[in-house]
Amino acid sequence: MLEIDGISVEYRADAGPVRAVDGVSVAVAKGEFFTLLGPSGCGKTTTLRSVAGFETPIAGRIAIAGRVVYSAERRIAVPVHKRDIAMVFQSYAIWPHMSVAENVAFPLAAAGVRGQEARGRVARALELVGLGALIDRPATQLSGGQQQRVALARAIAKDASLLLLDEPLSNLDAQLREQMRGELAALRARLGATTLYVTHDQEEALSLSDRVALMRDGRVVECGTPQDLYYRPKRLFTAQFIGRAEIVPCTVARRDGRTTLLETPLGPIASACGAAGAAGAASLMIRPEHLTIVPAGSGAPNTLPGTVASAVFLGRLFEYEIDIGGRRLKLQTLSAQPHAPGARVAVHAPPERCVLIDETTERH
Amino acid sequence: MNARRWAPRQYLPTIGLTAVLAFLVLVPLGFLLVSSLRPGGMPWSPGFTLANYMAVYADPALPRMIKNTLIFVAGSVALGLLFGGTLAWLVERTDMPARRLVRALVILPMATPPLLLAIAWIMLLSPRTGFFNEVLQKALGLSGPVFDIYSMAGMIFVEAVAVVPTTFLILAPAFRNMDPALEEAAAASGAGPARILWKVFLPLMAPALISAAVFISVAGFVVFDIPGTIGMPVRIFVLSSQIYYWGNDTPSGLPLYGQISALAAVFLVVLLALGLLYQRATRRMTRFAVIGGKGYRPRPFRLGRWRIAALAFAGLYFALAVLAPLAVLLWTSLMPYLTGFSTEAMKLATLANHAAVFENRRIGTAALNTLIVAACAATAVTALAALISWVVVRSRAAGRRLVDLLAFVPISIPGIIIGVALIYVYLTLSFLPVYGTIWILVVAYATVYLSYGTRSLNAVLIQLHAELEEAGAASGAAWWRVFRRITLALALPGLVAVWIWVAAHAGRELSSALILQGRDNVVLSTLLWDFWSAGQPNRAAAVGVWLIVALGVMVGAWQMLQRRER
Ligand SMILES: Nc1ncnc2c1ncn2[C@@H]1O[C@H](COP(=O)(O)OP(=O)(O)OP(=O)(O)O)[C@@H](O)[C@H]1O
Ligand SMILES: [Mg+2]
Repeated sequence: MLEIDGISVEYRADAGPVRAVDGVSVAVAKGEFFTLLGPSGCGKTTTLRSVAGFETPIAGRIAIAGRVVYSAERRIAVPVHKRDIAMVFQSYAIWPHMSVAENVAFPLAAAGVRGQEARGRVARALELVGLGALIDRPATQLSGGQQQRVALARAIAKDASLLLLDEPLSNLDAQLREQMRGELAALRARLGATTLYVTHDQEEALSLSDRVALMRDGRVVECGTPQDLYYRPKRLFTAQFIGRAEIVPCTVARRDGRTTLLETPLGPIASACGAAGAAGAASLMIRPEHLTIVPAGSGAPNTLPGTVASAVFLGRLFEYEIDIGGRRLKLQTLSAQPHAPGARVAVHAPPERCVLIDETTERH
Repeated sequence: MNARRWAPRQYLPTIGLTAVLAFLVLVPLGFLLVSSLRPGGMPWSPGFTLANYMAVYADPALPRMIKNTLIFVAGSVALGLLFGGTLAWLVERTDMPARRLVRALVILPMATPPLLLAIAWIMLLSPRTGFFNEVLQKALGLSGPVFDIYSMAGMIFVEAVAVVPTTFLILAPAFRNMDPALEEAAAASGAGPARILWKVFLPLMAPALISAAVFISVAGFVVFDIPGTIGMPVRIFVLSSQIYYWGNDTPSGLPLYGQISALAAVFLVVLLALGLLYQRATRRMTRFAVIGGKGYRPRPFRLGRWRIAALAFAGLYFALAVLAPLAVLLWTSLMPYLTGFSTEAMKLATLANHAAVFENRRIGTAALNTLIVAACAATAVTALAALISWVVVRSRAAGRRLVDLLAFVPISIPGIIIGVALIYVYLTLSFLPVYGTIWILVVAYATVYLSYGTRSLNAVLIQLHAELEEAGAASGAAWWRVFRRITLALALPGLVAVWIWVAAHAGRELSSALILQGRDNVVLSTLLWDFWSAGQPNRAAAVGVWLIVALGVMVGAWQMLQRRER
């Protein structure tokens, strides 16, 4: 449906060219909700704008619905208005000199759809986003959330193969953002449109997407389903950017069927997840919320004895630091059974949640 | 939209606009330079010489003229900033009474052409017949006049009064948009009002103040009306009046074109440098304005007992800039000859001068010509500036910086010099039959006011979020549809405002019109000048009153549009 093949984008700046996107490749299947996630300045917007046609890469190829819209080799660069896309902008870009209906009708008029049919499609699009009642409002008299919906309706009305969204929720306040996130999910279930979504908010990415590409410094670090990236990250950057992670250096001792035995400063640990081919020095990743506190001396595998070094009460949760052989490990549990600092406890790390990553330091 | 990267079409807009601008700006300047090196002083005269430069720069009178010019400029900057800056501060940052009214009225003086302002103040303060002088002389029992308008001080005073509205317009938005938290933070740190003013407010406003100062200096260098009416009769020459003098009133009776070009060539370098300085200062300012463009209400500075004094100050300004000049013009227009205000004189009152405005053929032609020239120049500037600004602000066409620069250059070319240069161009390119017609005036005005047009439309477009246009393209609309339905529609108030501003200024422009005056292109401003220099002040006053009325309506409409913009 959407193929991005090794595109690079440079901006001309005073100090010379800035490479904002550096060899990004992504393939989005029909009907898929695909998200570009990453820290600020990593090139997400630039990638999205290259797909739309607002930026022209210096290398690579982009195809939308089987049609090549950009190719450096074949010197093709289809202008924005001839691409089969619809887009929702971060600032919404609702035209203030038009009414709600005129805003939504604009892409239809550009496509030559007029009269009865246009009116019907405008009404349906507004109905879909729950704004049917505001059809004749001047666009200047809308709240932030309503503008957001008009922008969505305008994109839906165009009925394009590919929907592009650049941080559509970032200008809303926290409560409205959560509500709109829910509506966006419902809407996409109903429309089934192929969507390329850009955000730096991991909750948004994880809850909405079929697949996520995590970017850094203009490159894709890792690409996978939200659960892949959370449970089975292949890269230290992914482990640390998505959710929280404890990273412990380790060496691979031996393999035993599906499990790998690791030597770590915490003691020997069995891992049943992650880089199967790793040998020698590597890293062990454990998420604080996957550790549990068990009674001391239970003797089960992957149970490490230690003392509670600090305990922070967060309401629903307790966050502990546990001292295990001189090394501190963060741990989160539900607050049903508090442990006081100084208490001797044992920490259990399930082998399938002990992820072996074949990196010792973050690679670029 | 970089999508046109592969097509040479991408360069068409910049190439086209550069060609138009080069013809309007560079070609006249080139002709000027060539003429300065010709013995005959005309671009086509044979030979090559530096004699013109020798004649100009070895002239013992030159240092005096330069000194006069610098004093005139420096004086009007100081006085203009003092008046305009204080007014802007009072209106935007204090609790002065009637602030809104003052803000609405402050640009009213723009409707008074500098020529009429100068004439009015000559009527008020001339040593022999000035109204004020007569009144003061009688009241104080003096033997001589108190003021003499025919002096450097008189010129500076009138010029300063004339530049206050523009100064206000440059400074007020910067004063208004400054984040009050910056001042509040200083207050919370224990700084008193005076300390805040000196240590926080003025330093933060430095870019705006500098750009206002540079703008006033450029205006001071290029203005002719005031030095021409007040300074020339007593032989106080500045740059512009010197050029006019060499073009018209030489002892031999022949224009000294070679010398004019030689003088202009060197001064243009100085003026262009000032112009670029202004551009840099304002560029920093727009960035600042964008940051500060939020909807807060600054806490006004409490004037306390000084509130009335502040209002009196504003009142004094209006009296000097509008009421007194308008009153004396109106009075004079009703009199058969120049006479002071008295009850006996009132018996002489006649509407003959006003009747002449509507009956005299020559005045009628001049009014019609003025209308045509103003409307055409305004339309040309608006259309060209809209294209230029879009290319400069929005497109990524190669060479758009050059286009921006070329469109800006005319701000620092005096109307007198543009006039002379256009004479060279159109006498040389005689297959273009515009010399001596109203069309050469259209070309001159369009050139002179183009920089204003592009400056304002650049600002308008910068404020329009680029995503508004991108959303149009993403909706599937082609460039022209987006430009028409979105860009132009959203920028419409800004476009109309530029049109009105240019039309109003073209209606009063004197200097290039005087140089380019032929038999068939008399306009109101040149007619006024003729009446005045031919000793018909009453007729000049009558024409002036009606011109002010027409310009006042236009300035009012412009102001309303500007207000809607915000
Ligand atoms: N017009 C431009 N000129 C020069 N550099 C630019 C321009 N636009 C973006 N960049 C640079 O390109 C890089 C990628 O920018 P981009 O806008 O794609 O980031 P992003 O991932 O969308 O970040 P954010 O989450 O902050 O929106 C950044 O380093 C940015 O500074
Ligand atoms: Mg972005």
